[in-house]
Amino acid sequence: MDAVFRGCAYGAALLVLTVLVGIIGSIVYGGLPAFREFGVGFLTSSVWNVGTEQYGALVAVIGTVMSALLALLIGVPVSLGIAIYLTQLCPGWARKPVAMTIELLAAVPSIIYGMWGLFIFAPLFARFVEIPISNVVEGLPIVGTVLYARIPSGVGVLTAGIILAIMIVPFVASIARDMLDQIPTILRESAYGVGCTTWEVTRFVLIRHASVSIIGAIMLGLGRALGETMAVTFVVGNANRLSASIFDPGSTIASRIANEFNEADGMQLNALMALGCILFVITFIVLIAARILTSRVRVA
Amino acid sequence: MDAINTRAAPPLVQARVRPGRRRADAILRGFCAFATLLGIIVLGSILLMLIVEGVRGFTPTLLTQPTPGPGSEGGGIANAVLGSLILTTIGIVIATPVGVMAGTFLAEYGRTSKLAVLIRFLNDILLSAPSILIGLFVYTLMVRPMGSYSGWAGGIALAIIATPVIVRTTEDMLSLVPGTLREAGAALGAPPSMVIMKVSWRAASAGIVTGIILALARIAGETAPLLFTALNNNSWFSPDLMGGVPNLPVMIYQFALSPYSNWQQLAWAGALLITMTILALSVIARLVVKPQRAR
Amino acid sequence: MSHAAATAAAEPLMQPSAKAGADTKAPVRIAVKGLNFYYGQFHGLKDINLNFHDRQVTALIGPSGCGKSTLLRTFNRIYSLYPEQRAEGEILLDGVNILDSKVDLNDLRARVGMVFQKPTPFPMSIYDNVAFGIRLYEKLPKSELDDRVEASLRKAALWDEVKDKLKQSGMGLSGGQQQRLCIARTVAQRPEVILFDEPTSALDPISTGRIEELIEQLRDEFTIAIVTHNMQQAARISQFTAFMYLGELIEFSQTEKMFMNPTERRTQDYITGRFG
Repeated sequence: MDAVFRGCAYGAALLVLTVLVGIIGSIVYGGLPAFREFGVGFLTSSVWNVGTEQYGALVAVIGTVMSALLALLIGVPVSLGIAIYLTQLCPGWARKPVAMTIELLAAVPSIIYGMWGLFIFAPLFARFVEIPISNVVEGLPIVGTVLYARIPSGVGVLTAGIILAIMIVPFVASIARDMLDQIPTILRESAYGVGCTTWEVTRFVLIRHASVSIIGAIMLGLGRALGETMAVTFVVGNANRLSASIFDPGSTIASRIANEFNEADGMQLNALMALGCILFVITFIVLIAARILTSRVRVA
Repeated sequence: MDAINTRAAPPLVQARVRPGRRRADAILRGFCAFATLLGIIVLGSILLMLIVEGVRGFTPTLLTQPTPGPGSEGGGIANAVLGSLILTTIGIVIATPVGVMAGTFLAEYGRTSKLAVLIRFLNDILLSAPSILIGLFVYTLMVRPMGSYSGWAGGIALAIIATPVIVRTTEDMLSLVPGTLREAGAALGAPPSMVIMKVSWRAASAGIVTGIILALARIAGETAPLLFTALNNNSWFSPDLMGGVPNLPVMIYQFALSPYSNWQQLAWAGALLITMTILALSVIARLVVKPQRAR
Repeated sequence: MSHAAATAAAEPLMQPSAKAGADTKAPVRIAVKGLNFYYGQFHGLKDINLNFHDRQVTALIGPSGCGKSTLLRTFNRIYSLYPEQRAEGEILLDGVNILDSKVDLNDLRARVGMVFQKPTPFPMSIYDNVAFGIRLYEKLPKSELDDRVEASLRKAALWDEVKDKLKQSGMGLSGGQQQRLCIARTVAQRPEVILFDEPTSALDPISTGRIEELIEQLRDEFTIAIVTHNMQQAARISQFTAFMYLGELIEFSQTEKMFMNPTERRTQDYITGRFG
């Protein structure tokens, strides 16, 4: 009886290990033919042509990294702002309901963010941001390229980045909040005690004290942004085009797999699997870094 | 150095705080409040969108008829609702025993052994792994060999997503159970398995249940892993769950981007239904236990 | 010094052993008038009236929960970090009522320094810990700032131990050193008053002895208020002592008089260890 129970627990734990190994094994197995066929060129080529069976990952990889970085750029300050507001500024009675609201943002399914992004956000974004900015920057060097929308539809890499930012905010904010909450009261009081303003207490003492774990939380957010599929598929535009403008449509690894996998066979299927491999390697590295930094943070 | 206390004290109301410092502080406070407000506005606007668009789709036939074919009128989402219930049930029924046992292993047997540290680490990776990759894995594992999409493949994919959540909460909650409680059980001569089942599990039950509900909330809205496993189907599914099994998330994805207005309407109704269910589950999960933080 | 304390502890009434006697003619730095304090509904301090004299050490003693820390925390209004806590009445610092809503709290806290129960070095280098508070309020050239940091560390009797590792993190020091670093940080701002909230409760006896010597020396320049649960400590380092009980000020007098010949029965009971 005792041995059986122990065996079950042991077996279940090993199953977790097996599944992860299985995931790696299956996508490597599926992607191998594409890597063999195209070699290093798979990473550097921007061609994705089903007709000629020529595939390269560059556009999707750049789209993935770009949208995730934009998400961090926008999402991290907002997350920290929320964490600081909840731990330092919010009146006591409002703390719980506000914290709960922010946490509920994490529960909204990704497909709903996709619909919101496409049907609510994108039209507003096109009208109030893309068109005015494009009009202003047209013809200017650099910004005239990076911030110019050829077709101001509201969907594109930046839109994907913004939607991803909204999606990672509740995660990063809730971990950062836990970290700030753990800082001993007395350290906070002594920072106020030398005459600091709230900004100075936060900037020089609290954030610095929790910096390692906050960086870990950010990495965790990055991991999520890199692999997010449905929301991005709705708003990224799904174009295989290398464009210097962040307003232009693009695609990410996950969105391309979601879009094409069901109709794919032969080398296209292998190429998509190979994209999956690349995504796994990127997120794996980011997540390992995150886990090392946050060691044990509750994320559920 | 001059004597420290000779400085004449200016009146306190005429502060020596530089205006720049004050400004930085005001900006910080303003920004933080703004960021929080932004989060609340986004949630509010999502809910508003769902209610405005979704309520119109709540027709009498919504929950009684299956999804209509392209171009045909009326219909409902009964098949997708039932399909989703079945897929989620398969997922949680598989994930719960595996997750609880694995969490028990980590907290009660493995603890700091090398294997436990490795598994804990891998579980954390799995917890945040892109869900679309899990879809690819189950596709390779089941759909390709069996030659058909199936509800079983979809259920397994969801189980793989739910398991790490349950492992994590189970371990966290069990490690909160005081050691003295276990010792008291062992002192009565109970074997370890008995102590775990009768003492540890019971003490941690509320937390473990929370973990299971959270896992349920997580998989109920998952779309990406179902795309290549359960797929979708525009009518009722076969009872053996072979072939495409309709489900809410994939239905919403396909219908929302379709050109037919009644399909779009059904997608909105489905989106409202699924979001409210998931938000309700999340709220319930938080009410089951006051979230105890495990460190 | 700690030997003297050990013998004193055995006697029913302690010998006050502070090196300097009380200077009753010293000007009043802080005047507390009709102070009431509330934690939500709870009445934490009841009608406190008390004067703190310039360049004297005033000890606040009493059993746990008597309000001595609460009283100390009103002098830099650190309590106002918590919205449910409020104070009524007057606390005059050099004649200005610091409970007035127009008072700038940041400035007040720079002028009324505080040292806490546990060492609280900031997550930065030793040098920056000390320079931090100065930089907030004064723009000094590098060399002057260096001098100020050195002088402050010397005043905190820490210079010799850290002069070669100023760039290292303040968190790497021992507990006693960390506490002296916090004192240096406070002194560096040239406050008028320094509050000590049980500064030695987390320290070993040797570190405690050092901190006590330091407080004696700092008295030359600063008005000092110290909360302590340790009566020998109060007797050793203070010129004035206030005994508090259940939120009330029971007795306030020169330390010598308080320990040799208390007027109040409850003070005597507490000092002789009959309760608390």
